[in-house]
Amino acid sequence: PGPPDGGWGWVVVFGAFISIGFAYAFPKGLAIFFKEIQDFFGTSYSEIAWVSSIMLATTYGAGPISSILVNRYGSRPVVMFGGLLCGVGMVSAAFCTSILQLYICVGFVTGFGLALNLQPSVIIIGKYFLKRRPIANGLAMAGSPVMLCTLAPLNQFLFDNFGWRGSFLILGAILLNCCVAGALFRPIGAATASGKTQAIEEGQATLKEEVTKDAMEMSSPMNVPTETKTEEEEGKDCCEKINQYLDFSLFKHRGFLIYLIGNVLMFLGFFAPIVFLAPYAKHIGIDEYSAAFLLSILAIVDMIARPTTGIIANSKWVRPRIQYFFSFSIAFNGTCHLLCPLASGYTGLVVYSVFFGLAFGMVCAMLFETLMDLVGAARFTSAVGLVTIAECCTILLGPPIGGTLIDTFGDYKYMFIKCGAVMVLAGTFLFIMNYYNYRMLAKEEKERKAKEEDPKSVRTENEVRNNWNKETTQDGPELEPLREEQEGLKKEANGT
Amino acid sequence: SEPMITTQTVNWQTQGSPSDHLMLGHNVSTLDPMSQEFKQATKDSVSNVTFVEYEVLLPGFSGASVEKNITLDSATRIELSCRLDNKYSHLKSLQVIWKRGNEIIRHINKTENSWSIQLRILDNSNLGSYSCTLKGEEEISAMFHLQVPTIEGKEKPIVSYEGDTAVMICKSFGYTPIAWTWYMTNGSEQIAINDSLLADKYAINKVSANVTHLKILKLTKEDDGVYWCEAAFELGKSKGKLMLKVLSFMVPLKPFLAIVAEAVILVTIVFLYELYSKKKEKHAEDEKEFDQVEQLKSEESNGLENSSTRHRKI
Repeated sequence: PGPPDGGWGWVVVFGAFISIGFAYAFPKGLAIFFKEIQDFFGTSYSEIAWVSSIMLATTYGAGPISSILVNRYGSRPVVMFGGLLCGVGMVSAAFCTSILQLYICVGFVTGFGLALNLQPSVIIIGKYFLKRRPIANGLAMAGSPVMLCTLAPLNQFLFDNFGWRGSFLILGAILLNCCVAGALFRPIGAATASGKTQAIEEGQATLKEEVTKDAMEMSSPMNVPTETKTEEEEGKDCCEKINQYLDFSLFKHRGFLIYLIGNVLMFLGFFAPIVFLAPYAKHIGIDEYSAAFLLSILAIVDMIARPTTGIIANSKWVRPRIQYFFSFSIAFNGTCHLLCPLASGYTGLVVYSVFFGLAFGMVCAMLFETLMDLVGAARFTSAVGLVTIAECCTILLGPPIGGTLIDTFGDYKYMFIKCGAVMVLAGTFLFIMNYYNYRMLAKEEKERKAKEEDPKSVRTENEVRNNWNKETTQDGPELEPLREEQEGLKKEANGT
Repeated sequence: SEPMITTQTVNWQTQGSPSDHLMLGHNVSTLDPMSQEFKQATKDSVSNVTFVEYEVLLPGFSGASVEKNITLDSATRIELSCRLDNKYSHLKSLQVIWKRGNEIIRHINKTENSWSIQLRILDNSNLGSYSCTLKGEEEISAMFHLQVPTIEGKEKPIVSYEGDTAVMICKSFGYTPIAWTWYMTNGSEQIAINDSLLADKYAINKVSANVTHLKILKLTKEDDGVYWCEAAFELGKSKGKLMLKVLSFMVPLKPFLAIVAEAVILVTIVFLYELYSKKKEKHAEDEKEFDQVEQLKSEESNGLENSSTRHRKI
């Protein structure tokens, strides 16, 4: 039957909106408290900044753990537990007596809770939507700028009235609303799909002894093993067990590798401009409030750009070539940064903020959609975990490298040039590699169709397994694998 | 030890047009050996004496009077001058008066277009407002306000809780005070805080030359109120205001519990709705199955009829 593409799905999108919003906006919103905490504990600014860094690192680094838990238990329990963990983390942070305790409570515990919020929310959208998935993704990702615009003044209000301890206490309660968002994530298809895949795997195990060799020949991208049959069996059982929890075979997936390399490169230049926009504005003589207003403009444009990009990406012209659209938006983003040093005065920076907000929203809206498009909904759970832990390093490196460039040259333009260059490079790389990928997929699709039409091929379990192998190793344009899977399952049912 | 001489030349652009701006050259002058006056101004053996020049360019007889704030923290010899724009140099009968309040200052140095006075600022009594007035057809004047550096406190109150610690920080920008003193307000009185006397309650730390910390331990409701940090300079004292608010832990606890309750209620509602809709679905499915069975039965009977009709037709 396929994903519902509506109905309760829109409620799930709302829940994901809240969950993703907290995950991305909360670390940024905490910056308001840092000055006071720094004074209170008598530490330097960099020691306080570590709180943010640890939180961000944990949110991205715990991706694989999140994926494993979702693979095992489904999205709902994981998000509810994540919300609970966030709440506990912030409440205990309210009673901290040293900066180290803050690192643990705010950094690790809350960061881990946010990780358990972020991944499952993105995953469940893939389970509820197929035809309207880009719109759903765009809407859900819009949660980040909306939450940021809400949290920033809220945090200021809480701080003025309750001090930082009281604020952390109340923020802990607010984070418990992630549990509400999680409660909305009704399990769907996931249980049945995993049941079916398990059935197929069991069938596989029994057929293995007969068809291993043939299967190896037919599924081309896989490396031809030279081990003996028994070793293969044992190795496969172990691998399959791990793969059940976290699909490492994704590293053989061409599309996944392209996405991984392109994104890891992109994140080197993604966040630094936001971090340094306000300081740059102050540096060229703009007052503090106008500089802060630039970020507000960015957030507002971002808010509108994300769902709009979702709608555009869903249209029938763009959807089949969504990877090109994604590469274009990354390159567009990079070009904005390269042109920023040319902006003079406040008006120039406002124009830059508008375009930056637009580009940023476009990239973020499609960030997970393109990954889903490449690997398919079934393997997306593991894919997102592996991708976030790889991005973790570059995300953390980006702003400090930018900061070092600024300190060394005393000029902000080199940071903008570096970010712009990196992103244009990433966009071009993704464009070229995806062109190659689309061609390869079209070629493989032709081959597969040719084989199917071959009258000599008997509908043996051999072929069933062959088809299933092909699906797992090369998932093509999104609508195909689902159809193939269904066909495969039907054949399986008929066969046995 | 020889006294050090530092010279500083500061120029100001007035509210006139930018083209009126003029830069003065650097001016070095020797020290007047009036050592008795300087002894009282300094504590250490090394005496630092500064000589500063300040010039104001008068915009003309049409504008309003010009004012300038000058911040001094230690004993200074200062020269204040009022310069008139070149376009007015044709005016002959100009009279210049330098005043401090109502007191007229005599020794005016006149150059081609400027009139200046030299002052020795040694203590607080020398500070104040000095004015130069040019009398021609109309009057034009400029004011120099000589003051001690201002200390910034905090506009918003610092919020803390009973039993917790509060840290209050005062900074002096650019000028290093000789000493810091903290005061708390009791009613309308200001009482100095003695941290050696009440060592388990207050701790005053000098973090750096320009920054002072006051740490108040074991806060109670009585600690709530206004605090002052006072910086003592050679030429006087300057205060900054800070406010401390001490709350009981019940204050944030109420919104906290309210939001937790809201979250729990929402989660319960969501789950209950899910159970309800599942029951409804099951009912609907059962009904559907029942309907389908009925339909099959009726179709069978219909089918027999149909085939018989067809048979008849043929």
